[in-house]
Amino acid sequence: MEAILSRSATYLFLLFGFIALGGAASMVFARNAVHSVIGFLVAMLAVAACYLTLQAEFLGVAQILVYAGGIVVLFLFVVMLVELTKFKEKRLFQIQTPWAVATLLVAVAAFGGVFWKTLFGPAAVEPLTLRPELAEGLKVAEQNAQALSRGLYADFLLPFEILSVILLVALVGAVVLAKTERV
Amino acid sequence: MVPMNAVLLLSFLLFALGVAGVLIRRNALIILMCAELMLNAANLNLIAFARHSGTPAGQAFALLVMGLAAAEVAIGLAIVVALYRKKDTVQVDDINLLKG
Repeated sequence: MEAILSRSATYLFLLFGFIALGGAASMVFARNAVHSVIGFLVAMLAVAACYLTLQAEFLGVAQILVYAGGIVVLFLFVVMLVELTKFKEKRLFQIQTPWAVATLLVAVAAFGGVFWKTLFGPAAVEPLTLRPELAEGLKVAEQNAQALSRGLYADFLLPFEILSVILLVALVGAVVLAKTERV
Repeated sequence: MVPMNAVLLLSFLLFALGVAGVLIRRNALIILMCAELMLNAANLNLIAFARHSGTPAGQAFALLVMGLAAAEVAIGLAIVVALYRKKDTVQVDDINLLKG
């Protein structure tokens, strides 16, 4: 039973990983901005599912609430607001696209080399998976929300409070930036 | 148990797609979405390593990053709307002046 659960988590992770990659690719390459936003939504939901298979239930739900519920709706509002249809006949990509793609391919090749070496080189004596004795007694997986709240409110209380101030400043700043008449 | 390599590879590919989008797209909205995608890829890594170490610290980081991403989107979209009112465009290569 345990083995079946563990293996199905891997398969689900791979499935949702491919969905996330497809959503992200359609976001980057879609012609219509609304299609881009839909691709973004698909990618975010698939990443939330990946969080679930990684035993981060609280973060998976938070991802759905924050991204699918908040950010995507905000993006859709702005897409409607700025009336993108009149840009449609113009070109999609920037002038430096060939150079950017070439640079990115070099970076991907460099990272891929490192990754390949780590995977199959002589240094990889054991695969990078979680050893069961490391998680013993902590139960981050079973009591995810409790463990996370202890991490957040005991160990990282100050960053959390700073984040709430940042959110407040961002909200006020967004209102000031987006309103029409200046004070 | 999901193998670490798969998580790292997925996170890397998502990040690369985000970088590609930021570098090649002209639409400021899509550039903003690609930046969000990069933050998500980093979050995936944080969560994978949190599971690897068996502590909730990485997940707490990921939650903080999520909050920052929300703040970034609010500010970024407000800037896009203000820019559209001012310049009547959201294509980044039409926006080449520092003064408003």
